[in-house]
Amino acid sequence: MSISIISSDGEPFKVERKVAERSVLIKNMLGDLGNDDDDDDESFEVPIPNVRGSVLQKILEWCEHHKDTAFPDDEDDDSRKSAPVEEWDREFLRVDQEMLYEIILGANYLNIRPLLDAGCKVVAEMIRGKTPEEIRRTFNIVNDFSPEEEAAIKRENEWAEDR
Amino acid sequence: MDLGLSCHHREGQKPLLRQDNEDKKIPQAQERNIFTPCEKEYVKNISDVEEEEEEITVGSSKVNVNDARLIPQSNFHKYCYRHNPDVKCNKLADSNKISQLQDTLQKMPLKDQETINDVWSIFGAADSAKRQVILQGILSQCCFPQLSFISQEVSSLIRIDFISTLPTELSSKILCYLDCESLCNAAQVSKKWKRLADDDRVWHHMCEQHIDRKCPNCGWGLPLMHMKRAREIEYSPKNDAITLSGNHPPQVKRRRLSNQTTNGHGVRKTRPWKVVYSERFKVERNWRKGIYTTKQFVGHTDGVLTLKYDYKYLFTGSYDKTVKIWDVKTGALIRSLESHTQGVKTLAFDEQKLITGSLDNTIKVWNYHTGQCIATYRGHEDCVLSVDFYKKNIVSGSADTTVKLWNVESRTCIALRGHTEGVNSVKIHPQSSTIFSASDDTTVRMWDMTTHKLLKVFKGHIAAVQKVIPLNISSDYELVHDQQNDDEDVGEDEEEEEGEGIDYLDESRQYPNYILTASLDNTIKLWDVRSGKCVRTQFGHLEGIWDISADTFRIVSGAHDSLVKVWDLQSGKCMHTFQGHSSHVLAVGLGDSSFASADETGVVRMCNFDNFD
Repeated sequence: MSISIISSDGEPFKVERKVAERSVLIKNMLGDLGNDDDDDDESFEVPIPNVRGSVLQKILEWCEHHKDTAFPDDEDDDSRKSAPVEEWDREFLRVDQEMLYEIILGANYLNIRPLLDAGCKVVAEMIRGKTPEEIRRTFNIVNDFSPEEEAAIKRENEWAEDR
Repeated sequence: MDLGLSCHHREGQKPLLRQDNEDKKIPQAQERNIFTPCEKEYVKNISDVEEEEEEITVGSSKVNVNDARLIPQSNFHKYCYRHNPDVKCNKLADSNKISQLQDTLQKMPLKDQETINDVWSIFGAADSAKRQVILQGILSQCCFPQLSFISQEVSSLIRIDFISTLPTELSSKILCYLDCESLCNAAQVSKKWKRLADDDRVWHHMCEQHIDRKCPNCGWGLPLMHMKRAREIEYSPKNDAITLSGNHPPQVKRRRLSNQTTNGHGVRKTRPWKVVYSERFKVERNWRKGIYTTKQFVGHTDGVLTLKYDYKYLFTGSYDKTVKIWDVKTGALIRSLESHTQGVKTLAFDEQKLITGSLDNTIKVWNYHTGQCIATYRGHEDCVLSVDFYKKNIVSGSADTTVKLWNVESRTCIALRGHTEGVNSVKIHPQSSTIFSASDDTTVRMWDMTTHKLLKVFKGHIAAVQKVIPLNISSDYELVHDQQNDDEDVGEDEEEEEGEGIDYLDESRQYPNYILTASLDNTIKLWDVRSGKCVRTQFGHLEGIWDISADTFRIVSGAHDSLVKVWDLQSGKCMHTFQGHSSHVLAVGLGDSSFASADETGVVRMCNFDNFD
């Protein structure tokens, strides 16, 4: 069986079932079709209206690389949380913020937990250890606090410094 | 409009670029003269939806475009990030550039302005595919300086405020990966960030990661402190206190944060998790930095042999034959129990009763709320040096070398024999139904509480062992072991003394994985219960150690050298040494945010680490 995933801009991507099923969303869709018999002639089109072609291509690249990876159990929340981002994933996610943003949204929509985790961890690393001003610069954010508010909030959060 | 693509514009609609040369006042983003059509739509509509806090005018004539505020994330497939009407911050950042551009343009000859405007119009009206072609063409015409300009501009333009614009659950997820200092910095970035970074879910997660356990990522663990805090918010209804679930649960009692943060009288009855966290964080920092205040409990006329306390009461037993009960908060003496005919060497208590053991060979049970002595147990032939109890069982250790197990209900008493000298410390481990005993004969023994059989003997100390504490340490929290060349321990040959051994197959019993012991040989030792071997020895006291106490994070020890030391349980390193006592320290106790110590002259002190000012 071959699967054709159609991006929001109409671009089709032909992939192995195993690759497509990295996405729990697609896996469930295929499961619903009840396709157990290995009918090679059959082909399915899966429209993904929320993901652009260039992003989908990138996400499928990840799925291809990880098609045989055994990821830790979803229930095992703690170990998943504390694990650092794997080297290949880190390199894979070394993209501009726009692409990273869309990968995260795409992984969320397609329900690809390990990719979503990695994407979120990469963003967390962009925040970690930075001052508020550095964070603003990193993400192009305008400080919308008044000077008084800013001073009050700074005082409110001072306890966490200097440990 | 092509909904599938980012920032498409209606075919045929020309982007506006008015050239109001006369009008010099164009300060507001709303009035600026350059925008692409989808921005324009945004500008038109922003007047309907002025501020986020404001009510939204439903039924506005502008159809669905800005109703995204009602369903906040739904329009992200309609607009690109940059031109999304919801992304306010980015707009503000861009607006400066746009007015600069306007200025530059206005300084040009009118002819040039027209030409440039045409280029922009054509690009603005093109769909995404055509735009790409146009850009490709422009790029191929560019010289390196222009490419360099583009690359610089682009790198500053492609910045996305992930936290503000991702769906809230994803923003929370990202924030949950942060440490507390970064989270507190994130809360200072902008209003939106503050709301998300202060969110209760995020801090609840932080509390789960750190309270009553060490976080494997950052090495910090925070004290539980639930008894004290639960008491301090007395006006909260009981059923509001929740207990977190999980394998290693931080049993923090607190009130859920809800929308109704005020009761009828305007008093906040819920405490945000961030406050819960920061309170404990400050206590832990004081512990680490050694910032504390001291309180004294004055009243005993002779050396204090034993002490125990909780958030409310401190109990001390003394050579002066009394047990004194003190108010922990005020330091006031509440009651003095006088019925023992010799010094009170040991005590244990719960909410109702107090059990004491004395040098007069008896054990007494008291109702400490009334001061009444309920029962006296005689049976030991020498001083009672240690007592512990669990449910209907009292365990005692005596100078007569026996451990006795008393059942209060069946009124039976069983002697556990094996020690060859006085038994200084006994401890029940209820989860595994075992008893640990430490003796002057330098050994520690582990007994089965139901069969009364000896399970194990721990040998390694070279002087009297004064205290034994069983510990259950979760596996993700590894205690540091000494690197040692094994088997230098003594007594490996005395096979007949080794006991029955532990049946680890019996899964109904959760045996402690470690025990801590303190000895007059000046050391504290950590033992692996399974192997029976000492895995760590803590040196530092100059003379024998009389007493230790421990929790998930710390060990406190008091010794003949008049010193009190606080040790890190995980690393075994001494964190602080306290010199306040003028005589041998005979008893110590440890709480979440304090420790207490008592000496041979009758001085009882408590050091508190919960002062923040």
